[in-house]
Amino acid sequence: MRREGPIILAGMAGLVSIISCFFGAPGFKVVKDELDQWFLIATNFMVLVGLINLTMIHWKRVSQKRAGWGYSVALLVAAYFFIVHGLVRGSVGDVQYKWMYNTFFAPMSGTMFSLLAFYIASAAYRAFRIRTAEATLLLVSAVLVMIGRVPIGSAIWDKFPSIASWIMDYPNNAGIRGIQLGATVGGMATALRILTGIERGHLGSDV
Amino acid sequence: MTFWDKAQNVDRRVIYTLLIAILAYILIKPIGLPILITKETKAAYDNLDKVPAGSIVWFSADYGATSIPELLPAQIATMRHAFKKNLRVVAGGMWNEAGNLADMVWQEVKKDFPDKKYGIDFVNVGYKPGGAVLLERMVNDAHQALLGVDFYGTNFAELPLMSEFKTFRDVKLIFEFTAGTPGEQDYMKMVTDPLRIPFSAACTAVSTPGIKPFVQSGQMQGLLMGMAGAAEYELLVGKPGTAIVSMDAQSAAHLLIILFILLGNVGYVITRKRPSARV
Repeated sequence: MRREGPIILAGMAGLVSIISCFFGAPGFKVVKDELDQWFLIATNFMVLVGLINLTMIHWKRVSQKRAGWGYSVALLVAAYFFIVHGLVRGSVGDVQYKWMYNTFFAPMSGTMFSLLAFYIASAAYRAFRIRTAEATLLLVSAVLVMIGRVPIGSAIWDKFPSIASWIMDYPNNAGIRGIQLGATVGGMATALRILTGIERGHLGSDV
Repeated sequence: MTFWDKAQNVDRRVIYTLLIAILAYILIKPIGLPILITKETKAAYDNLDKVPAGSIVWFSADYGATSIPELLPAQIATMRHAFKKNLRVVAGGMWNEAGNLADMVWQEVKKDFPDKKYGIDFVNVGYKPGGAVLLERMVNDAHQALLGVDFYGTNFAELPLMSEFKTFRDVKLIFEFTAGTPGEQDYMKMVTDPLRIPFSAACTAVSTPGIKPFVQSGQMQGLLMGMAGAAEYELLVGKPGTAIVSMDAQSAAHLLIILFILLGNVGYVITRKRPSARV
């Protein structure tokens, strides 16, 4: 039953949602609304589960003094400091909390993301070589979009923005649309496999 | 090793140093290059501009602090536009920093609109988890889905604006600031497509290729594409902000990367033609 129970529950929940969404059966709608409410409550608790999981992983790393354990200490101290501070003084409207968010968290997060610019600069320089016809096509379109999407592009040649726009509107949209349609069909197939109990990866390895 | 051999293998630390030097210099001394308005940004501006005065619009901050440089200027510029048009804004989001971000925007924009009052012209409902399910619940009963309290812990009953915002059906436009999932696709699936609510978004530059097909299909009427989109909107609203200032730096960075790509390829072509390279 450890295996069948979750499969039956998932299948029934999925079936209720599908019937309610696609056929609008009133009885099913009531059940689905209740399930949705359960989902929202469960999602709130997932934050707590995430915190427990994060703590367990990093506590283990610290206690075993694995490589990079200092970073885990920093993570745990920062996380629990924010939590305790928020619980004691309140997170909203508290000047200290806001100061910490604006002074530490926001700039550090921005810095992490901005590092991408440096990696991309280095990676683009190494990867974009005219070795084959396909690579040349990629290089030319990348350079045209890069130059066409910034003000200096139009300052150099006023046609650059239009060319970049055409690349984004036609070849890019066609390619992305194909990928998205493929992924959606794949997602539907996976959902069907989960609901019918064929796909059991979400149940874990011990069932 | 010749110059052209070296040109193909420039140390990454040289690239990083040049990039940071050029970015810092241009940020300190901007050139002021003219910014062109793209049709996607203009469409987003027009989409908000044609909403009748007094209407309620929903601003969803679905991003984190990592995307502040690109998306916060967009949220500030659009909120300025909404207040200029005398629209009332309810802000929230499906990402956990939504409340903080909406608060930052409110604190910034209210300096220019001292007559706007919290609870009457603006409400920040903060972060609410649930993604697509949350949105679906908000179509039927926003108060229940949002648990009846705003970001600051105030009950909706004490906020006059919330008495007019019962469901998404009361909203005349949705503007989403998105950096990933949950995001714009959840809105299209659950809210804007079924209810035919006008929908615009601002996204990070890296997610632009994935979102553009929805503009072409008409499911999304306007799109601010990265920092460039935010800069264009700042220009349209007539209040330059951090996005406009940063565009020169972005131009310089793109130009530097292109120069390095060209350098590497010229080196590659020249060394490939050498007889020794063919062996």
